[in-house]
Amino acid sequence: MREGLFIAFSLFTIAAASGVVLSRNPVYSAFSLILSFFGLSGLYLLWGTTFMAMIQILIYTGAIVVLFVFVVMLLNLQVNKESSPNFLIVGISGAAVWFFSLIILRVLTQAIPNTLPAIPTDQIRTISKLLFTRYLWPFEVLSLFLLVMIIAIFAITRTQEIPHGGEKQ
Amino acid sequence: MKFPLSITYWSHFVSVAMFSLGLLGFLLRKNTIVVLMCIELMLNAVNLLLIETSMRTNTPEGIIMVVFVVTVAAAEVAVGLGIVLNLYRMKGTVNLDHFKSLRG
Repeated sequence: MREGLFIAFSLFTIAAASGVVLSRNPVYSAFSLILSFFGLSGLYLLWGTTFMAMIQILIYTGAIVVLFVFVVMLLNLQVNKESSPNFLIVGISGAAVWFFSLIILRVLTQAIPNTLPAIPTDQIRTISKLLFTRYLWPFEVLSLFLLVMIIAIFAITRTQEIPHGGEKQ
Repeated sequence: MKFPLSITYWSHFVSVAMFSLGLLGFLLRKNTIVVLMCIELMLNAVNLLLIETSMRTNTPEGIIMVVFVVTVAAAEVAVGLGIVLNLYRMKGTVNLDHFKSLRG
């Protein structure tokens, strides 16, 4: 049962991720991204990380993709034709990257047991304890990083100095 | 139920396929917003690999790392979309081919 769900969620995630890359309209890309994140959330559930499945739904589809859709709607883009790249070279290089990374991963993870693990019960407690004991310093640095990012976004998107419609190509 | 391919193979298949798709989109697409989405795809592929390894080896450090990655990804998307908004305001397009002011 769990293995079947695992394959189903894997194929669903990959199909949605290819929809992100292949669709012409950025809004469809964003919706495919939402579907892909839901599939990933199911995979996280099957691996037993319920906390990360919740975070995936809340942060990724609730905040990040909404931000993407908001910007796409704000810019009011028309779907224009993109210049088509050389698909043969890109496909060959992508297949090569995929193949070699699969081989490397197989070699690196040979010693690891090959079954789905049992779902732990007190995972959130474990994560919280680690976050506030051993990883307290990176956690605080991360909060400082978020503050810096807020200031940076305000500095980037303020509109006074930028002339409207200036510097057209 | 006999499994046709091993769980390890399937999990690595998903991660590497997602990463390759994100990389291809990053290199191929011309729309800046879609390029940012492809960066998200790559980050999520790495997150999935981290969570698999962390759960299989029973070490919760991977999950902590994924929490950090998610935070940095959210900040990165906010900054990136701010830059895209500014670029659209200045150039009137989000096509990456038109952003060549820094080309020597």
